[in-house]
Amino acid sequence: MPNASTQTSKLLPSLFQRFSAEQAVTVFHVGAALPETVDFFSDYRCKLHFIDVFPALPIVLTKDAALTPLQQFQELLQFSADTFFDVCLFWDLFNFLDSEAIAALQTVLRPHLKQSSLAHAFSVHNRKTPQKNHIYGIQQLDTLNVRSRRTTPPGYAPHSQRELTALLDDFRVERSVLLPDSRLELLLQRHRTVPGR
Amino acid sequence: MIGPSIVIKGEVSGEEDLLIQGRVEGKINLNGNQVSVGESGEVYADIQAKVIQINGKVTGDIIGKEKVIISKSGNVHGNIVAPRVTLEDGAMFKGSIDMDPAEASIHKAPVAAHQSSQSSAPQLKASGLDLKSV
Repeated sequence: MPNASTQTSKLLPSLFQRFSAEQAVTVFHVGAALPETVDFFSDYRCKLHFIDVFPALPIVLTKDAALTPLQQFQELLQFSADTFFDVCLFWDLFNFLDSEAIAALQTVLRPHLKQSSLAHAFSVHNRKTPQKNHIYGIQQLDTLNVRSRRTTPPGYAPHSQRELTALLDDFRVERSVLLPDSRLELLLQRHRTVPGR
Repeated sequence: MIGPSIVIKGEVSGEEDLLIQGRVEGKINLNGNQVSVGESGEVYADIQAKVIQINGKVTGDIIGKEKVIISKSGNVHGNIVAPRVTLEDGAMFKGSIDMDPAEASIHKAPVAAHQSSQSSAPQLKASGLDLKSV
């Protein structure tokens, strides 16, 4: 197992406390399924969709690319029409996507969001913040298990919170917490103005 | 047990626990029993059983009445429905997991004997295990 440590999350508790034990929760988890995450969700009535986007990086539009970012996300994220997410766990995906790829991700995800959808992500305080090569699992409501990736995903080009906020058409930042390593933990809520379910 | 050199294409059903070390393509239905896919096992089939333990490779949807366990050597590509799902460190999983812990207590009650007499398809019957061709 890669090196593992823990990290406190201040925002996941406020995200999950909005769901009762009886309520069925549908979750989109970006990244590999980890034992502790599956174990954490076993206390919930839930449907978890694990899709590891990171091996597909970089998702960028180039002259030589066979597929556009939109086509790549359409291939990667294939959900049934009746799938609607209560929670999206993006982790640090946005730090590896350019503006076009973030737009493409949202285009593909939009039909599967609710007006009440919430999301969690890591961003950066400023664009010079160094890359963290981590995989995140949920150990407890307020504790993440952090493992080192075996390989470094390409395309790290983080956006400042201001830039990311402008790029997110479907979500607004409800709360953000500055972490000691100059990164930001973000709790995102669906934009009320976006038409949808 | 389905041994390492055995290949089955069709539907497997019955009333006893099953260990798969070989290859199964089709459908596995042992509602009241445990299905284990050994490290050398390769299953390209939907599996329905009381308890399902995967140490090998499974491509297909999995319904566990009580529990599904994907061991560290397990590799699953498909959707899982079960009251409880355990993923061991190192296990590979791609798909969705549908869990309802409230269902776990319901399914701990004795399971009614599963009847598999509905098919008239060619069958290989071995001490409670039915293998139906499709």
